[in-house]
Amino acid sequence: MGNKTVNLIGKNSMRIVLTLLPIIGFLILWQLAAMFTSIGNLMPGPIQVIESLFISFAKPLGPHTIQMHALYSLKRVMVGYGSAVVTGIIFGVSLGLSKMFRALFRPLFELIRPIPTVAWIPISILWFGVDEMSKYFIVFYGAFANVALSVYMGIQRVDPVLVGAAKMLGCSERQLTFKVVLPSCIPYIFSGMQVALSAGIMSVVVAEMINSYEGIGWNIHAGQQTANMTQVLTGMVALAIFGLLMAAILRQVERRMCAWNTRNT
Amino acid sequence: MADSEVDTRQREILVRVRDLTKRFDDLLVLDNISFNVYRHEFLCIVGPTGCGKTTFLNSLTRLYDITSGEILLDNEPVDLRKHNISYVFQEASAMPWLTVEDNIRFGLKIRKFSKDVADARVEDVIKLVNLQKFRNYYPAQLSIGMLQRVVIARAFATNPTLLLMDEPYGQLDIELRYMLEDELIAIWEKTRATVVFITHNIEEAVYLGQRILVLTNKPATIKREIVNDLPRPRNIADHKFVELRETVTQLIKWW
Repeated sequence: MGNKTVNLIGKNSMRIVLTLLPIIGFLILWQLAAMFTSIGNLMPGPIQVIESLFISFAKPLGPHTIQMHALYSLKRVMVGYGSAVVTGIIFGVSLGLSKMFRALFRPLFELIRPIPTVAWIPISILWFGVDEMSKYFIVFYGAFANVALSVYMGIQRVDPVLVGAAKMLGCSERQLTFKVVLPSCIPYIFSGMQVALSAGIMSVVVAEMINSYEGIGWNIHAGQQTANMTQVLTGMVALAIFGLLMAAILRQVERRMCAWNTRNT
Repeated sequence: MADSEVDTRQREILVRVRDLTKRFDDLLVLDNISFNVYRHEFLCIVGPTGCGKTTFLNSLTRLYDITSGEILLDNEPVDLRKHNISYVFQEASAMPWLTVEDNIRFGLKIRKFSKDVADARVEDVIKLVNLQKFRNYYPAQLSIGMLQRVVIARAFATNPTLLLMDEPYGQLDIELRYMLEDELIAIWEKTRATVVFITHNIEEAVYLGQRILVLTNKPATIKREIVNDLPRPRNIADHKFVELRETVTQLIKWW
């Protein structure tokens, strides 16, 4: 027993060491490079960036403190991504279940999908103006296809053994859809949502860099305009933390809502 | 021949199969098969691998259309929405998103049993397969043997008129198979369900069946019907058991 506990602690601390080692190594290398090589002339080291990040919580970068910028970005992601998830699920399910819907909308969908998010920015400004609506649209566009495709795939990959078993247990077509097909594609919905979240964050940054006066993406753009690499890097670090938090929250939601699919660790 | 035997036993016919023929395009799989399944019996169907056993079950449940002949259940054509037939597949078919208990309840909900009846049934069968402690587990957390017990419990829960089993233990190791076979016999004796059990494992057929239908190679016809009166619990080392097993083996070997 005692031995086992020790072992467990040993394993855990080993994992922590393995996680932190490359990160700390990377930061040290970066710091040394900034201090002792010509890279230092171009950009600050991590200590300066982290310092700037902390200062920016109290002292505004441009019009806002960093947490306010993050809140602007968060709101845009929530609205655009949220609506993409809802409509993406509906669209993907319709594609998967209805032959008619598939015949009608799949070709159009495949035609529009290859157009990169950033290419939509001019049109989105024309359609929705320079305000929030155009940013919502860009995030929505970036996230939508990921959700829709993943759900569509989930419906196509329903285990035929389960369908057969459900039919034998007396399921009607309708019951088959609601009791077998849809539940079995929930993991696909979540994996689509994860990919879509990354795409959504990417889109909000692009939108903010091109057309915005606030948000984390604006920081990066503004830093570039004024050759302030500390501001650029502060924005990048803030984005890393932002993305990490969002993904972690989504994973927790999945673990709660989809407990049956979490692999035994 | 088969009929006269049954007449002397005064048993009620549940399923009547007459001149059943099934073709897939040019391939004749089932050739003019006729037999009965009697209420409350445990019927085993054995035949060489690939002889069309599964085709036969799927024709019975109308997952396939049959080419000619008729299959009557209680004197009516089979209708899955109306007749309560359960089917246990070889592959694990528990719904991964439902707990053990909810999996067992699945068929009861589909067939709109009242909550009280459903609760009672679930309790009964969950005890029969010894999964009380695992009622809140998800399939991903269970072993393959436990999964097959969930499926068998689900099949028995609706009190099916007819229970079809298609090599349900084909993928299990011997020890586990013996255990589940004994469990199945116990459940069958308790519920008095009618079971049609398909296998290519001769020993399994002789161990379980009250009656054994031996099929020929493709196209499948009935080679022989064997009544198996060996007392239970059966002993696979008993010389009568071995004798019967040999008889069936010879039948399958020498088509």
